[in-house]
Amino acid sequence: MDTQQKAQGMTITREQDHGAFGGQLLTVNFGPHHPSTHGVLRLVVDLDGEQIRSVRPVIGYLHTGIEKQAEALRWQQAVVVTDRHDYLSPPINNLAYALAVERLLGIDVPERAKVLRVIMSELTRLSSHLVWLGTSGIELGAMSVLMYCFRERDTILDMNEEISGFRMHTSYIRPGGVMADATPRFLDMLGKFIVEMPKRIDEYEDLLTANPIFRSRLIDVGILTAEQAKLLGATGPMLRGSGVNWDLRKNMPYSGYEGYDFEVALSDRCDCYGRYLVRIKEMRESVKILEQALNRLPDGPVNVDDRKILPPPREELETSMEAVIHHFKLFTEGYTVPPGDVYQAVESGRGENGCYISSDGTHKPRRVKFRAASFYNLQTVEPMSLGRMIADFIAIIGTADTVLGDVDR
Amino acid sequence: MIAEELITDRGQSAGDEWVTVDAAQIYRALSSLKDEGYTVLVFLTCVDHLADPSREFPGRFELVYQLRDMDQLRDLRVRTFLDGESPEIESVHELFPPANWDERETYDMFGINFSGHPNLTRILMPDDWVGHPLRRDFPVGGEIVEFSEEHDTWNTAPEKA
Repeated sequence: MDTQQKAQGMTITREQDHGAFGGQLLTVNFGPHHPSTHGVLRLVVDLDGEQIRSVRPVIGYLHTGIEKQAEALRWQQAVVVTDRHDYLSPPINNLAYALAVERLLGIDVPERAKVLRVIMSELTRLSSHLVWLGTSGIELGAMSVLMYCFRERDTILDMNEEISGFRMHTSYIRPGGVMADATPRFLDMLGKFIVEMPKRIDEYEDLLTANPIFRSRLIDVGILTAEQAKLLGATGPMLRGSGVNWDLRKNMPYSGYEGYDFEVALSDRCDCYGRYLVRIKEMRESVKILEQALNRLPDGPVNVDDRKILPPPREELETSMEAVIHHFKLFTEGYTVPPGDVYQAVESGRGENGCYISSDGTHKPRRVKFRAASFYNLQTVEPMSLGRMIADFIAIIGTADTVLGDVDR
Repeated sequence: MIAEELITDRGQSAGDEWVTVDAAQIYRALSSLKDEGYTVLVFLTCVDHLADPSREFPGRFELVYQLRDMDQLRDLRVRTFLDGESPEIESVHELFPPANWDERETYDMFGINFSGHPNLTRILMPDDWVGHPLRRDFPVGGEIVEFSEEHDTWNTAPEKA
């Protein structure tokens, strides 16, 4: 008995009851406790021998209700839940939320804040790709890659700590600007990092790119054509690895990205190896952007000068009554955002992470919806794995680079 | 253009273009917008306007579809309004495959029934969960903090929510 799922140009046929030689299909459950599913993802797989006949992802094991939680928090407090959905790129999530709120408020942040935002976004993109590379490597057996990647990631986390006090969930980028200015030590660390990182990426490429085992595990595995990728709503390296030239930083720029000189990483291969090359190239381009950002970092304030949104400096509270009132209002009720709705998308390591906000004019959001890149990228796992073997399946889950916090929110 | 006839309202919000269509016409409207070039569904979700103090809405539940034209680099937000305890609307998963999981999530969180959906089951909450968590009359829950503003709102329904 065949069941077909038809969706305009794409048919997924699942043979429910019989395998190739008349045998039965075996249903195997991957996860949610599984080292290779990149989080608490459950995949129910029908196997015909070693070949996959259908994949049904079951999600929701990491659902923590952050969208509901954001409705209970004030506008300035809700930044902290944005850190936690795509937990490998917290500043990028913060940026989507901050830009959305700023658009509703109708304010624009100073130049220095924009450049700092770009710096944090690119550092996070690097950190996220390093996790992807390390974990994909170790799933395919390349164990040393994990250690090397996490060594660099630790440098980035140290920089996060220097600038915001937090290693991972920084909440650094907030509506109105950023949390605090970059310290001289941070800029120093960043300068050293920019010099070191390209050599490290060369090391990873030395280990992997021409490695015959790595190549045979990834080449022609996990084919996702450009039409399939666009149809399924995949974004990020899933699209660019299939040759679709779409990067939000170029096509729908934000936070000053139109002023930076970088290339969009593309690959026509449509397989896992192509996506690997895309992400490696993205890491190199991120370092280029960091260098440009560091060179052009202007002096100036890092927050918008609006006392209705951001609290006054503590010294002012001693002399100005108005400052005391602003401080009080902001820390009790919080600021209100005019009614309306907005969608702001940013490019994270996984693809399009966006924040849709519906405001009802009060001091808390009415609805915050996080458009999660991984939610849609996960749906590409099934078309890519049909007919493949389990070993390829592991490589395919790795290439999709899903973060379950994003999928489940 | 078929799309033009079906649009009941339009406007701009914070730089985003939006249009409103009738809930019964959603499939035709999205289909003709897809023909016009908006080939990508970025996301679809719902907003619950229960006890909204700012504006009057034609219905309690607002379904939001964000469409994108990748060639012309433009986005369009399509909004439609539904009412009732178990509102129903046609599924658009055949036009846009990403809607499949999005509709399941909207059903799970808000209780909107998408007719024609191949597998309308809960996706984020456990399968035996009762209630639709993102509705405004579903409490946020958590430990009550005495003498705080949230004391009442987190555990009671509409007017304060």
